[in-house]
Amino acid sequence: MHEDLNQKISQFLDNELSREEADSVLQKIRIQPELKSRWDRYEAISNAIKTSAYVHPRSDFLAKVNQQIQHEPVYLLPKNHLLVKAQPGMGMTVNVKLALAASLAVVAILVGQRINRAEAPIKLASPIQLAQQRINQPASRLVSGSYQSGQYPTNTRMIDYLQAHNNSVFTNGDIHIRPFAVVAAPSQE
Amino acid sequence: MVRQVLFWVLLYCLNAAVLAANTPQKSVNISDGQQVMLAMAAAMKSLNYQGTVIFLKNGKLEAMKYFHAAKNEVEQERLLSLNSPLREIIRDANRISCHFISTQQVIVDQRPVESSLLFDMPKNIAEQGLAYGFSVVGEEDVAMRPAIVIALQPKDNYRYVRKIWVEKNYFLPLKVVIYDFSGLPLEQVMFTELELIDSLPFVSFNRSEREIALSNNNSLSSGPFAQPEARLSLPNFVVTHIPYGFQQIFFARSPVHNSSQLVDHMVLSDGFSAVSVYMESKSAAMQSGLQSIGAVNSFSRALGDFELTVMGEVPASTVEYIADGIKLREVTQ
Repeated sequence: MHEDLNQKISQFLDNELSREEADSVLQKIRIQPELKSRWDRYEAISNAIKTSAYVHPRSDFLAKVNQQIQHEPVYLLPKNHLLVKAQPGMGMTVNVKLALAASLAVVAILVGQRINRAEAPIKLASPIQLAQQRINQPASRLVSGSYQSGQYPTNTRMIDYLQAHNNSVFTNGDIHIRPFAVVAAPSQE
Repeated sequence: MVRQVLFWVLLYCLNAAVLAANTPQKSVNISDGQQVMLAMAAAMKSLNYQGTVIFLKNGKLEAMKYFHAAKNEVEQERLLSLNSPLREIIRDANRISCHFISTQQVIVDQRPVESSLLFDMPKNIAEQGLAYGFSVVGEEDVAMRPAIVIALQPKDNYRYVRKIWVEKNYFLPLKVVIYDFSGLPLEQVMFTELELIDSLPFVSFNRSEREIALSNNNSLSSGPFAQPEARLSLPNFVVTHIPYGFQQIFFARSPVHNSSQLVDHMVLSDGFSAVSVYMESKSAAMQSGLQSIGAVNSFSRALGDFELTVMGEVPASTVEYIADGIKLREVTQ
């Protein structure tokens, strides 16, 4: 059963499941934390294969960031060290007034942003959400995709077709040769 | 003194003989694009040469050492990658073997429809004259060698424009570029250095006889060009939109996906560009519509209970045009 689910997750990440099957997998992942963890691992592997610069955060990474933001002290007004010592009996100069006004404006903006963050916790789309959005997108007959420069398709059927089409798979640095013709591995003998 | 003169005369004659043997075309009108192309096709097959070649496809650059050995009308091409993953690719006629250095893994594939690891060339260039115009558009140096620049201008919009830089003395291709309709390069293959050699050895992977036998057996039974008996079958579809100059050069029904599910695979070609038509039972795996990978475009759609994909180094409109004209074969046909 687990093997079957692993296979389904893998197929989902390769965009090889029907909509119904994908929905079913997503439901199971939502319910079972163990599957979510497996999903994250597969996603990380998939991203590492597709790009060379994927860093997978720890599962509690976002929670810790939110916690840190909550405990961050809020500085409202600058203290005296920002003020220029005024001469006794004289008011503040125009420059000092301008500097104070500018500082207040900056502080107001920063505080405002921080308050906004505290009210609305950071929301990053999880792979599941992104996949759900992808499933919900209407299919277009005309244009379904163009691989970016240097990007190789991950759809296994497309890879098979490219391999059967011409021999450029052998000269391509991104080796995605499917092993149907693997014939000899002397080290394994 | 006489001995010295005789020695130099003999040496001169020897050099002249070697040069004459390595120069396939003695009288080529270099202002005639078609003649230069014919000379190039002959030189590519008959000369021994080696060099460094770079492939620029889909934004990826790959540098490889290239060797072409020819003897008694038998050819062997060899590519040795300079960067990871290190691998050696050998083409002996229809068979391509790819040896991965680090894993010692060998992949053998049957490729009956391709004649070069560098780029596709028609067997009869004269026949392509109605689909392409071959014109000399200049002279440039490539890899420090003088070259004639030939433009392959298609006479319709079903194929891409190409330019080939042909070495002026030996008529070997030094550079090939495929352009899109806006004139931007889509793919390039270029020698950065090229050397003619009197003779090059034919090489083979250092494998035991058992492994070689196994490879032949496996590649025939499970590769994309497998199952000779299946080649005799008719495809389940009929292609009604075939652009001028394209013709069917291959058909097989084989397990492309390493499974028991057979896939109909037809190859159409105009000599320079190939288009594959695949048809198999419908499944959820295939995304319908157009997709592009560098110069390769593909178009997929459902056809009855089947999924159809047309793929090739042709413009997107061409794969869509061919796909739209494909119908299921009637039982009586």
